[in-house]
Amino acid sequence: MRYSPTLIDHFLNPRNAGLMRDPDGVGEEQDAGCGDLARFFLKSARGVVSDVRFQAYGCGPTIAAASAASELITGRALGDVTHLEATEVERAVDGLPEDRKHAADVVARALRAAARACLGGAPEGG
Amino acid sequence: MTRRVYLDHNASTPVHPEVVADMLPYFGEIFGNPSSVHAFGREAREGMDRARERVARFLGASADEIVFTSGGTESDNLAIKGLAYARGRGHFITSRIEHHAVLRACQWLETQGFEVTYLPVDELGMVDPGDVKRAIRPDTIGITIMHANSEVGTIQPIAAIGAIAREHAIPLHVDAVQTFGKVPIDLDAMGIALLSFSGHKIYGPKGVAGLYVRKGTKMVTIQHGGEHERRRRAGTENVAGIVGFGKAVEVRARDMAGEAVRLAALRDRLWDGIRARVPDVKLNGHPTDRLPGTANISYRNVESESVVLGLDLKGIGVSAGSACTSGSVEPSYVLVAMGVALGWAMGAVRHSLGRSTAADDIDYVIESVEPIVKKLRGALPVGAR
Repeated sequence: MRYSPTLIDHFLNPRNAGLMRDPDGVGEEQDAGCGDLARFFLKSARGVVSDVRFQAYGCGPTIAAASAASELITGRALGDVTHLEATEVERAVDGLPEDRKHAADVVARALRAAARACLGGAPEGG
Repeated sequence: MTRRVYLDHNASTPVHPEVVADMLPYFGEIFGNPSSVHAFGREAREGMDRARERVARFLGASADEIVFTSGGTESDNLAIKGLAYARGRGHFITSRIEHHAVLRACQWLETQGFEVTYLPVDELGMVDPGDVKRAIRPDTIGITIMHANSEVGTIQPIAAIGAIAREHAIPLHVDAVQTFGKVPIDLDAMGIALLSFSGHKIYGPKGVAGLYVRKGTKMVTIQHGGEHERRRRAGTENVAGIVGFGKAVEVRARDMAGEAVRLAALRDRLWDGIRARVPDVKLNGHPTDRLPGTANISYRNVESESVVLGLDLKGIGVSAGSACTSGSVEPSYVLVAMGVALGWAMGAVRHSLGRSTAADDIDYVIESVEPIVKKLRGALPVGAR
């Protein structure tokens, strides 16, 4: 199997999948090449992520990365999440094959956007 | 141990035990070069001659019209380039849904000064013989149309195309890699001048295939060397592979008709079961003029690779109609040519059944796919596609 047991577990049992009513911030990003899409809804309390939901369209790794990242950032300061790196998301699924690195990238970008939205900031890149 | 169900027979098949048994001596005591004149060589040649006879008989051809090659890709290349180079210049007609072996050989010919017309197909994946007729020019030197498409299984109206080709005295090449040994092929009634067919799709070994070349067809070789295969394909023959191929053909001649009926029923059971349980699904390809064991099913708004991964984890081998690689999305060019919308094309999964497929395998696939698609759709953004 080319994917790690952790990735497979998140793919088969995605955590925090679905829609959220009244989120404090929403972030959505799409991979320009393959069209994979991740959307995160965040709720925060005292500057910390208190609840996360995600929706994703894409290959197995994208769904798994979104699930793993949703656990990763729960309880974390929003300011930290605005700097979330793709490499950290990739570590949360115990690595990705070279041709699936975009999964971590699209998830990290969507989460950064959602955290910035919570903080009332402008979208990435203007 | 996880149950294992193989539904990717259009990709390859396991070698039939009777085929393995026939091949084994050719890895040991019968090892000679079939071109050698001594007894060792003659023994090898006898095995090869027997295989050639079997293949020829199955096709209703004569043995000297059969050229053994290393695979379907080589057969296609030999047919197309062999026709083209024998004429030096001119125009080819093909379709947009051919195998890459045909498409890229045609594209190569374009770089060499030949011209090629790529015909469209309808929403069922069918070439219109009228389009073939309209595409013919005074300088048309070859027509190459596949018998059935490997992804969707649609069977082309080859007899109608062959009649047009014959009327205009243009050689017709048919890539029959997916139909040979699965559905009947009548070389004369279908007006076929050249036919590519392969071993490993019909429970023979990999690395061996054939090209039928009708007597009198003007051809040149594309691989130069010795006098093998009546100077149409140089290189010492893959004797064990050819012997196995011959046996595989003999077994198919015996089993083909019954197997086609059995597989068509299982294929329909699969589609009926899936559509009864999973909403927003669609069958791609022609509903009836289709390979007996092929069902290409689209799950709308789900990426097929996720379904393939989910099924793989349940021990089920199917193939994805789209490939997501870093940097580009690649819905199947066949489905794109058929005008299948992106939201459907991206979710296309091919199931191809075979000898080992049983009814309870089909039921297991139906049971397995339902929760996978449900879960994937549960995480799906509304209106994502």
